[in-house]
Amino acid sequence: MVEDTLIEILESFKLPVIRQGSLPPDAAYPPAFITFWNNETIEHSAYDNETTSITYDYDVNVYASDPEVTYSQLRQIGAALKAQGWIITDFGFDISSDEITHTGRGMQAVYLETTKGE
Amino acid sequence: MSRNTLKLDTRGIEELITKLEGLNGEVKKAVTEAMEKAADKISRDTDAAMSPAFLPAHGKYSQGDTKRAIVKDARATWSGTEASVGVGFDYSKKGSGGVLITGYYRTGGAINGTARMAPNQKLKEMYKGKKYMLEISNEMADVVNGYIVKAIEGN
Repeated sequence: MVEDTLIEILESFKLPVIRQGSLPPDAAYPPAFITFWNNETIEHSAYDNETTSITYDYDVNVYASDPEVTYSQLRQIGAALKAQGWIITDFGFDISSDEITHTGRGMQAVYLETTKGE
Repeated sequence: MSRNTLKLDTRGIEELITKLEGLNGEVKKAVTEAMEKAADKISRDTDAAMSPAFLPAHGKYSQGDTKRAIVKDARATWSGTEASVGVGFDYSKKGSGGVLITGYYRTGGAINGTARMAPNQKLKEMYKGKKYMLEISNEMADVVNGYIVKAIEGN
């Protein structure tokens, strides 16, 4: 599954990886961590009424107490995803943090999967 | 004026505007109407997306700040040949809760969420999805087409 592959890539950075919004209210923010959210998964192309490719659109975010880590980690993640065939077209945007101690940056990561009419 | 006045993406209707210009049609009126109708639709849909069903904990902890910041009744303003209209959220409004949208595809807390709060998926589909923007673009095109027909018929 594409999401499993994404998580695997993100976990290779040895930081906690969770779905955006899933950190329990009483859990502390780790010093640095990664979140992701699936914006949409849609049919990209079809032939003879059979899906031939699917677009997986994700936000990938980094939160860290050190802003330098927030920025650099996101850049590294972007490069790693690109190397694995993900489409990365932006260089990051600010995202809100629940904690004043942390800054957050996110980017869009898109994967185009060919299904060959599966 | 909203702190976050945006320029609506008019790429989809530029050809139509050129055609209307060629017919000596009411270009400014057409663009103004198209943009204000688009802004009105975005405002209503944004308001609907902020209803309790789509908020974390079904709005139990919501103080309504973000909803109060929604730009409503926006009017298009012109600067030379460029028109712009406010859409989204105006965090400069009193009680707006500091949620900011700086562009069609740039979002604030309500849309991207936080580590403890899931994104508002309805808003995501609107402000980040291609389908919704295409719908807006098509509706703007319908307005301009109406003025083209009017110009052809000499009304």
